[in-house]
Amino acid sequence: MADHAATHDVHDPNIGNTGLDHRKMGMWAFLGSDCMFFGSLIGTYLAYKGKSISGPTPHDVFDIPLTSYSAALLLASSLTMVLALAALQDNRVKVAAGWLLATAAMGLHFVLNQVYEFWTFVHHHDLMLSTSLFGSTFFVLTGFHGAHVTGGVIWLLLLVSLAWRGKLDRRDYTKVEIAGLYWHFVDIVWIAIFTIIYLIP
Amino acid sequence: MADHGTAAATHGGGGGHATVRTYIQVAIALAIITGVEVATLYVPGIPNPVLVISLLVMSAVKFYLVVGFFMHLKYDHGIMRALFVGPLIIAVAIILAVMALFSAFLLLPRPH
Repeated sequence: MADHAATHDVHDPNIGNTGLDHRKMGMWAFLGSDCMFFGSLIGTYLAYKGKSISGPTPHDVFDIPLTSYSAALLLASSLTMVLALAALQDNRVKVAAGWLLATAAMGLHFVLNQVYEFWTFVHHHDLMLSTSLFGSTFFVLTGFHGAHVTGGVIWLLLLVSLAWRGKLDRRDYTKVEIAGLYWHFVDIVWIAIFTIIYLIP
Repeated sequence: MADHGTAAATHGGGGGHATVRTYIQVAIALAIITGVEVATLYVPGIPNPVLVISLLVMSAVKFYLVVGFFMHLKYDHGIMRALFVGPLIIAVAIILAVMALFSAFLLLPRPH
Protein backbone atom coordinates (compact mmCIF):
# COMPACT_ATOMS: atom_id res chain seq x y z
CA MET A 1 0.00 0.00 0.00
CA ALA A 2 2.78 2.39 0.97
CA ASP A 3 4.74 1.34 -2.11
CA HIS A 4 1.67 1.79 -4.26
CA ALA A 5 1.07 5.29 -2.87
CA ALA A 6 4.71 6.20 -3.39
CA THR A 7 4.60 4.97 -6.97
CA HIS A 8 1.35 6.81 -7.56
CA ASP A 9 2.75 10.03 -6.12
CA VAL A 10 5.38 10.18 -8.86
CA HIS A 11 2.68 10.52 -11.51
CA ASP A 12 0.32 12.86 -9.72
CA PRO A 13 1.07 16.54 -10.48
CA ASN A 14 -0.76 17.59 -7.31
CA ILE A 15 1.74 15.85 -5.06
CA GLY A 16 4.92 17.73 -4.24
CA ASN A 17 8.28 16.78 -2.75
CA THR A 18 6.75 16.59 0.70
CA GLY A 19 4.37 13.87 -0.48
CA LEU A 20 1.46 16.15 0.33
CA ASP A 21 -1.27 17.47 -1.93
CA HIS A 22 -0.59 21.08 -2.99
CA ARG A 23 -4.29 21.91 -3.09
CA LYS A 24 -4.85 20.75 0.46
CA MET A 25 -1.77 22.56 1.75
CA GLY A 26 -2.96 25.70 -0.03
CA MET A 27 -6.35 25.43 1.64
CA TRP A 28 -4.79 25.02 5.10
CA ALA A 29 -2.57 28.06 4.43
CA PHE A 30 -5.64 30.07 3.34
CA LEU A 31 -7.57 28.99 6.44
CA GLY A 32 -4.63 30.03 8.61
CA SER A 33 -4.62 33.49 7.03
CA ASP A 34 -8.41 33.69 7.40
CA CYS A 35 -7.95 32.97 11.13
CA MET A 36 -5.93 36.17 11.37
CA PHE A 37 -8.57 38.08 9.38
CA PHE A 38 -11.33 37.02 11.76
CA GLY A 39 -9.01 37.47 14.74
CA SER A 40 -8.61 41.16 13.85
CA LEU A 41 -12.37 41.61 13.46
CA ILE A 42 -13.13 39.85 16.76
CA GLY A 43 -10.41 41.86 18.51
CA THR A 44 -11.88 45.10 17.17
CA TYR A 45 -15.38 44.11 18.29
CA LEU A 46 -14.12 43.36 21.80
CA ALA A 47 -12.03 46.54 21.91
CA TYR A 48 -15.11 48.67 21.21
CA LYS A 49 -17.52 46.58 23.25
CA GLY A 50 -19.52 48.77 25.64
CA LYS A 51 -18.03 51.98 24.24
CA SER A 52 -20.92 53.06 22.01
CA ILE A 53 -22.28 56.45 23.03
CA SER A 54 -25.72 55.83 21.58
CA GLY A 55 -27.98 53.22 20.10
CA PRO A 56 -29.14 49.82 21.33
CA THR A 57 -26.78 47.56 23.25
CA PRO A 58 -26.13 43.89 22.43
CA HIS A 59 -28.37 42.93 25.36
CA ASP A 60 -31.26 44.87 23.76
CA VAL A 61 -31.08 43.24 20.35
CA PHE A 62 -29.63 39.73 20.54
CA ASP A 63 -32.06 36.85 20.09
CA ILE A 64 -30.15 34.03 21.79
CA PRO A 65 -32.65 31.23 20.96
CA LEU A 66 -32.51 32.11 17.23
CA THR A 67 -28.72 32.36 17.26
CA SER A 68 -28.44 29.07 19.18
CA TYR A 69 -30.59 27.45 16.52
CA SER A 70 -28.29 28.85 13.83
CA ALA A 71 -25.25 27.53 15.72
CA ALA A 72 -26.88 24.08 15.91
CA LEU A 73 -27.54 24.23 12.15
CA LEU A 74 -23.88 24.88 11.35
CA LEU A 75 -22.70 22.14 13.73
CA ALA A 76 -25.15 19.68 12.17
CA SER A 77 -23.97 20.70 8.70
CA SER A 78 -20.41 19.82 9.69
CA LEU A 79 -21.61 16.30 10.48
CA THR A 80 -23.36 15.94 7.11
CA MET A 81 -20.22 17.23 5.41
CA VAL A 82 -18.03 14.48 6.88
CA LEU A 83 -20.73 11.91 6.11
CA ALA A 84 -20.62 13.08 2.48
CA LEU A 85 -16.86 12.59 2.45
CA ALA A 86 -17.15 9.13 4.00
CA ALA A 87 -19.79 8.14 1.41
CA LEU A 88 -17.60 9.42 -1.44
CA GLN A 89 -14.67 7.41 -0.14
CA ASP A 90 -16.87 4.31 -0.43
CA ASN A 91 -17.79 5.48 -3.96
CA ARG A 92 -21.45 5.92 -2.99
CA VAL A 93 -21.68 9.06 -5.11
CA LYS A 94 -25.45 9.58 -4.90
CA VAL A 95 -25.40 9.25 -1.11
CA ALA A 96 -22.50 11.70 -0.98
CA ALA A 97 -24.45 14.13 -3.19
CA GLY A 98 -27.41 13.83 -0.82
CA TRP A 99 -25.27 14.68 2.21
CA LEU A 100 -23.66 17.57 0.32
CA LEU A 101 -27.11 18.89 -0.56
CA ALA A 102 -28.20 18.60 3.08
CA THR A 103 -25.07 20.51 4.11
CA ALA A 104 -25.80 23.27 1.59
CA ALA A 105 -29.45 23.43 2.71
CA MET A 106 -28.45 23.92 6.36
CA GLY A 107 -25.91 26.54 5.32
CA LEU A 108 -28.58 28.37 3.33
CA HIS A 109 -30.92 28.19 6.32
CA PHE A 110 -28.18 29.72 8.47
CA VAL A 111 -27.74 32.59 5.99
CA LEU A 112 -31.50 33.23 5.88
CA ASN A 113 -31.59 33.31 9.68
CA GLN A 114 -28.81 35.90 9.58
CA VAL A 115 -30.67 37.97 6.99
CA TYR A 116 -33.73 37.87 9.25
CA GLU A 117 -31.60 38.87 12.27
CA PHE A 118 -30.07 41.81 10.38
CA TRP A 119 -33.53 42.86 9.11
CA THR A 120 -34.85 42.81 12.68
CA PHE A 121 -31.93 44.87 13.95
CA VAL A 122 -32.43 47.49 11.25
CA HIS A 123 -36.22 47.73 11.30
CA HIS A 124 -37.07 47.02 14.93
CA HIS A 125 -34.05 48.42 16.76
CA ASP A 126 -32.78 51.11 14.36
CA LEU A 127 -29.34 49.52 14.49
CA MET A 128 -27.36 49.98 11.29
CA LEU A 129 -23.72 49.91 10.23
CA SER A 130 -23.31 53.62 10.97
CA THR A 131 -25.45 53.81 14.12
CA SER A 132 -22.73 53.12 16.67
CA LEU A 133 -19.46 51.34 17.33
CA PHE A 134 -21.48 48.27 18.25
CA GLY A 135 -23.39 48.43 14.95
CA SER A 136 -20.32 48.80 12.76
CA THR A 137 -18.18 46.16 14.49
CA PHE A 138 -21.08 43.68 14.79
CA PHE A 139 -22.31 43.96 11.20
CA VAL A 140 -18.81 43.83 9.70
CA LEU A 141 -17.78 40.76 11.72
CA THR A 142 -20.96 38.72 11.32
CA GLY A 143 -21.51 39.99 7.77
CA PHE A 144 -18.10 38.73 6.65
CA HIS A 145 -18.82 35.40 8.29
CA GLY A 146 -22.18 35.26 6.49
CA ALA A 147 -20.39 36.00 3.20
CA HIS A 148 -18.04 33.08 3.90
CA VAL A 149 -21.04 30.79 4.52
CA THR A 150 -22.70 32.00 1.31
CA GLY A 151 -19.53 31.21 -0.64
CA GLY A 152 -19.44 27.77 0.95
CA VAL A 153 -23.06 27.09 -0.01
CA ILE A 154 -22.32 27.99 -3.64
CA TRP A 155 -19.24 25.73 -3.61
CA LEU A 156 -21.25 22.81 -2.17
CA LEU A 157 -24.02 23.27 -4.74
CA LEU A 158 -21.42 23.18 -7.52
CA LEU A 159 -20.17 19.84 -6.15
CA VAL A 160 -23.75 18.52 -6.00
CA SER A 161 -24.23 19.62 -9.60
CA LEU A 162 -21.06 17.77 -10.64
CA ALA A 163 -22.23 14.63 -8.82
CA TRP A 164 -25.65 14.72 -10.50
CA ARG A 165 -24.00 15.02 -13.90
CA GLY A 166 -21.78 12.02 -13.19
CA LYS A 167 -18.62 14.12 -13.02
CA LEU A 168 -17.75 13.34 -9.41
CA ASP A 169 -16.46 10.07 -7.98
CA ARG A 170 -14.02 8.83 -5.39
CA ARG A 171 -11.08 10.03 -7.48
CA ASP A 172 -12.30 13.52 -6.59
CA TYR A 173 -12.00 12.81 -2.86
CA THR A 174 -9.43 15.53 -2.29
CA LYS A 175 -11.56 18.14 -4.10
CA VAL A 176 -14.48 17.40 -1.81
CA GLU A 177 -12.22 17.19 1.24
CA ILE A 178 -10.90 20.70 0.50
CA ALA A 179 -14.46 22.03 0.22
CA GLY A 180 -15.12 20.29 3.53
CA LEU A 181 -12.15 21.98 5.18
CA TYR A 182 -13.53 25.36 4.12
CA TRP A 183 -16.99 24.43 5.37
CA HIS A 184 -15.74 23.26 8.78
CA PHE A 185 -13.73 26.45 9.03
CA VAL A 186 -16.85 28.63 8.79
CA ASP A 187 -18.28 26.40 11.51
CA ILE A 188 -15.34 26.94 13.88
CA VAL A 189 -15.41 30.68 13.24
CA TRP A 190 -19.06 30.65 14.25
CA ILE A 191 -18.19 28.64 17.38
CA ALA A 192 -15.90 31.53 18.36
CA ILE A 193 -18.34 34.28 17.33
CA PHE A 194 -21.27 32.61 19.07
CA THR A 195 -19.43 32.43 22.38
CA ILE A 196 -17.48 35.69 22.29
CA ILE A 197 -20.10 37.96 20.70
CA TYR A 198 -23.43 36.46 21.71
CA LEU A 199 -22.95 34.51 24.93
CA ILE A 200 -20.31 36.36 26.95
CA PRO A 201 -22.14 39.15 28.78
CA MET B 1 -9.99 2.91 -9.14
CA ALA B 2 -10.48 1.66 -5.62
CA ASP B 3 -6.77 1.97 -5.06
CA HIS B 4 -6.83 5.41 -6.57
CA GLY B 5 -9.40 6.53 -3.99
CA THR B 6 -7.37 5.17 -1.12
CA ALA B 7 -4.33 6.85 -2.54
CA ALA B 8 -6.27 10.10 -2.78
CA ALA B 9 -6.80 9.98 0.95
CA THR B 10 -3.13 9.19 1.48
CA HIS B 11 -2.10 12.09 -0.73
CA GLY B 12 -3.83 14.42 1.67
CA GLY B 13 -1.16 13.56 4.14
CA GLY B 14 -3.39 11.77 6.61
CA GLY B 15 -2.17 8.60 8.22
CA GLY B 16 -5.78 7.58 8.86
CA HIS B 17 -9.01 9.19 9.86
CA ALA B 18 -12.06 8.90 12.01
CA THR B 19 -14.90 6.49 11.32
CA VAL B 20 -18.56 7.41 10.83
CA ARG B 21 -19.18 6.23 14.38
CA THR B 22 -16.58 8.70 15.66
CA TYR B 23 -18.16 11.50 13.61
CA ILE B 24 -21.55 10.84 15.19
CA GLN B 25 -20.05 10.68 18.69
CA VAL B 26 -18.30 14.01 18.08
CA ALA B 27 -21.55 15.55 16.79
CA ILE B 28 -23.41 14.40 19.91
CA ALA B 29 -20.67 15.88 22.11
CA LEU B 30 -20.89 19.17 20.20
CA ALA B 31 -24.68 19.28 20.63
CA ILE B 32 -24.42 18.61 24.37
CA ILE B 33 -21.72 21.25 24.90
CA THR B 34 -23.72 23.83 22.92
CA GLY B 35 -26.79 23.05 25.03
CA VAL B 36 -24.77 23.49 28.24
CA GLU B 37 -23.30 26.76 26.93
CA VAL B 38 -26.72 28.27 26.29
CA ALA B 39 -28.18 26.89 29.52
CA THR B 40 -25.33 28.46 31.51
CA LEU B 41 -26.60 31.89 30.48
CA TYR B 42 -29.92 31.28 32.21
CA VAL B 43 -28.44 30.05 35.51
CA PRO B 44 -28.68 32.94 37.99
CA GLY B 45 -25.90 33.92 40.34
CA ILE B 46 -22.85 32.70 38.41
CA PRO B 47 -19.98 35.18 38.97
CA ASN B 48 -18.98 36.88 35.72
CA PRO B 49 -15.36 35.61 35.66
CA VAL B 50 -16.54 32.03 36.20
CA LEU B 51 -19.16 32.41 33.46
CA VAL B 52 -16.67 33.88 30.98
CA ILE B 53 -14.00 31.27 31.66
CA SER B 54 -16.42 28.36 31.47
CA LEU B 55 -17.89 29.64 28.17
CA LEU B 56 -14.41 30.11 26.69
CA VAL B 57 -13.34 26.61 27.77
CA MET B 58 -16.46 25.01 26.28
CA SER B 59 -15.93 26.96 23.07
CA ALA B 60 -12.30 25.82 22.90
CA VAL B 61 -13.34 22.19 23.34
CA LYS B 62 -15.87 22.50 20.50
CA PHE B 63 -13.23 24.17 18.34
CA TYR B 64 -10.80 21.31 19.00
CA LEU B 65 -13.40 18.63 18.27
CA VAL B 66 -14.30 20.13 14.87
CA VAL B 67 -10.71 20.82 13.83
CA GLY B 68 -9.31 17.57 15.18
CA PHE B 69 -11.95 15.10 14.01
CA PHE B 70 -14.13 16.70 11.31
CA MET B 71 -11.17 18.47 9.64
CA HIS B 72 -8.96 15.42 10.35
CA LEU B 73 -6.13 17.63 11.63
CA LYS B 74 -5.57 15.19 14.50
CA TYR B 75 -4.67 12.55 11.91
CA ASP B 76 -3.04 14.85 9.36
CA HIS B 77 0.58 15.57 8.54
CA GLY B 78 2.56 17.90 10.85
CA ILE B 79 2.99 20.43 8.03
CA MET B 80 -0.79 20.82 7.76
CA ARG B 81 -1.02 21.29 11.53
CA ALA B 82 1.74 23.92 11.44
CA LEU B 83 0.05 25.77 8.57
CA PHE B 84 -3.12 26.17 10.64
CA VAL B 85 -2.02 26.27 14.28
CA GLY B 86 0.73 28.85 13.68
CA PRO B 87 -1.61 31.52 12.25
CA LEU B 88 -4.25 30.54 14.82
CA ILE B 89 -1.82 31.45 17.61
CA ILE B 90 -1.11 34.75 15.85
CA ALA B 91 -4.87 35.37 15.55
CA VAL B 92 -5.33 34.88 19.30
CA ALA B 93 -2.36 37.18 19.89
CA ILE B 94 -3.99 39.82 17.65
CA ILE B 95 -7.21 39.63 19.67
CA LEU B 96 -5.33 39.98 22.97
CA ALA B 97 -3.11 42.77 21.63
CA VAL B 98 -6.03 44.83 20.29
CA MET B 99 -7.93 44.35 23.55
CA ALA B 100 -4.88 45.42 25.53
CA LEU B 101 -4.49 48.51 23.31
CA PHE B 102 -8.00 49.60 24.22
CA SER B 103 -7.90 48.30 27.81
CA ALA B 104 -10.84 46.08 26.95
CA PHE B 105 -10.36 43.08 29.20
CA LEU B 106 -12.92 40.32 29.37
CA LEU B 107 -12.42 39.51 33.03
CA LEU B 108 -11.16 42.72 34.64
CA PRO B 109 -13.28 45.80 35.40
CA ARG B 110 -13.45 48.15 32.40
CA PRO B 111 -12.29 51.75 32.80
CA HIS B 112 -14.92 54.45 32.19
